[in-house]
Amino acid sequence: MIENPKCVIDARNIVKIYQNGCEELKVLDDISLQVLKNDFSVILGPSGSGKSTLMNILGCLDLPTSGQYFLDNTDILNAKENQLAAIRNQKIGFVFQKFNLMPRLTALQNVMLPLLYRGVNEEEAIEKAKEKLDLLGLADRLSHRPPELSGGQQQRVAIARAIVGNPHLLLADEPTGNLDSKSSAGAMEIFKELNCQGNTIVIITHDVEVAEQVEKMFYIRDGKIYDKD
Amino acid sequence: MFIPEAGDYLKLRQLIKIVLINIYHNKTRSLLTTLGVIVGTATIFLVVAIGNGGEAQVNEQYSRLNVGTVIVMPASRGRVVDPLTENDVHLFMESDNIANAFPVLQGSGDINYDNYTQGSRFMAIYPEFQASNHLTIEQGRELNQEDESRSNRCAVLGAELANTLTDGYASEIVGQSININNRKFEVVGIYSRVGDGGSGMSNDDSAFIPYSTGRKYLLGSRANPIIMAQATGLETVQSALQDIKAVLDETHRMGGAEQFRIMDAGSRLVAAQESARTMSMLLLSVAAIVLVVSGIGIMNVMFVTVKERTKEIGTLKAIGAKKSEILYQFLVEAILISLAGGILGVIIGYSTVPVLEFFELPALPSISGVLIGLIFSVITGVFFGFYPAMKAAELNPIDALSYE
Ligand SMILES: Nc1ncnc2c1ncn2[C@@H]1O[C@H](COP(=O)(O)OP(=O)(O)OP(=O)(O)O)[C@@H](O)[C@H]1O
Ligand SMILES: [Mg+2]
Repeated sequence: MIENPKCVIDARNIVKIYQNGCEELKVLDDISLQVLKNDFSVILGPSGSGKSTLMNILGCLDLPTSGQYFLDNTDILNAKENQLAAIRNQKIGFVFQKFNLMPRLTALQNVMLPLLYRGVNEEEAIEKAKEKLDLLGLADRLSHRPPELSGGQQQRVAIARAIVGNPHLLLADEPTGNLDSKSSAGAMEIFKELNCQGNTIVIITHDVEVAEQVEKMFYIRDGKIYDKD
Repeated sequence: MFIPEAGDYLKLRQLIKIVLINIYHNKTRSLLTTLGVIVGTATIFLVVAIGNGGEAQVNEQYSRLNVGTVIVMPASRGRVVDPLTENDVHLFMESDNIANAFPVLQGSGDINYDNYTQGSRFMAIYPEFQASNHLTIEQGRELNQEDESRSNRCAVLGAELANTLTDGYASEIVGQSININNRKFEVVGIYSRVGDGGSGMSNDDSAFIPYSTGRKYLLGSRANPIIMAQATGLETVQSALQDIKAVLDETHRMGGAEQFRIMDAGSRLVAAQESARTMSMLLLSVAAIVLVVSGIGIMNVMFVTVKERTKEIGTLKAIGAKKSEILYQFLVEAILISLAGGILGVIIGYSTVPVLEFFELPALPSISGVLIGLIFSVITGVFFGFYPAMKAAELNPIDALSYE
């Protein structure tokens, strides 16, 4: 096995099987993919094809049934729990399909969280979180709690939280799904900007318009992956 | 390429801030959770206070009377048909179990000093009475053997009486003369304060004169003494009581020992001590039950909280919270809730003390009571908060995230 130092994501023969009673559901079937440093890739596919399942594995939130996964050459399947926590905190920014914001914390506090769990002091965390929220056009919503925000605004808070720690790898599960075309274009601009700064980005999308803007595409259907350059 | 180390943790201040936000948003539930802890801690605080109060009361009684002291007095309050005699005293002294015995006479009358008159109790005593009753001299001198044999007309006053007669300038009375029932006595000393016995007249309010003097000048030879005997030791008190009964049966054939009250300080104190201890144990078990019940309450609420926040736990894990950080967060929440309950409980317990005193239950609040109460409340929080917190921390991020 030749290690490619430019390879951020190196997933090999990933299989994910869900056990529903005695019935087995093979959601990912022998998926291999590589994402290089500074790539901007999208994953396309019909609903229920396994995109989120794959993304969760790539984000170290879930483990495959079998296969191998190297993130920055770290063997994720054999990593210790605390190391995984640190990787999730410092290397990966994850935008969830359903936002998953903390309902009792304000927008600002939500965005500060990844930094706080990194041991950054409060003043610095406030400053950086404000900067990102400003970037996403939420400067006037800092002290609103998620229930007081619109879906699109919540999604932008979720994006701000994912990028606040300057992660090497940004994973976004349908980040523009809840945004109007204008906001959607704005979010894509931010991703592109991050990509220009050297970040590696993988996003899931249904939106063909979004997909056409990027250089690399993976297509998933029935648990199989197809490269579509 | 850099591999993150697992060395950086959420700062405690931030952890507490997040926990406080969560507690604040669940005000009602948090308060309900603490109710049990409040009651439990208040009970523990009161148990310790009552235990201390009982002990203090017993100790005070000990300090007022020698443990080996036995008091014999006529049982009837009215006219005494068959009084105790000097002969009884001599026969008591013949017992091997009795070190000493002496009669004491009691009377009451007007005591006059410098145009001020005060109705009071006076006691005619042998010098030995003073040691048996822990009477020590504050000023002047004790009554002694010479006063007894010469029937000196001298008196030693209790602290309170001396104060009353002199309107606060007690020291001036030593060396002066007073009148007891219009007989002149010289005050030779003042005893140190012994404190309120809780049962009417105390030695602080009395005047003391030599036994022979009392007989001769104030009470007459038909006076009717009580006898104080001193057992040779704590172990011999029971045998001494037997001997005393035997003597009384022998010398007072008509009514026998039945017509006398025989009290021994030691066994009364032991009984008092025991009942204080029983009371404490009873309250302690109540407190323990309350705490266990409230602990289960905490566990219940923590479980519901964990269930409700499962998705949030998943989110926290996704953004990099470690297992230990999740565990701490829920533990700190349980501890803060129970500690707040503990503090409230101590305050409520403290304000209940006057009520107990109203019902004449001696309660003595103490720092140790506060500490024990708080420690138990925190232990309850940790113990019953740990399991749900552990369950929360162990969740796999994706399982927590997809929990509905
Ligand atoms: N925990 C689970 N247990 C059993 N089956 C599951 C579980 N999670 C997902 N699945 C199944 O796996 C398949 C893929 O789900 P996934 O969420 O990855 O789809 P997706 O491609 O992200 O769809 P969408 O575009 O609608 O978000 C679905 O058929 C789903 O029913
Ligand atoms: Mg999906």
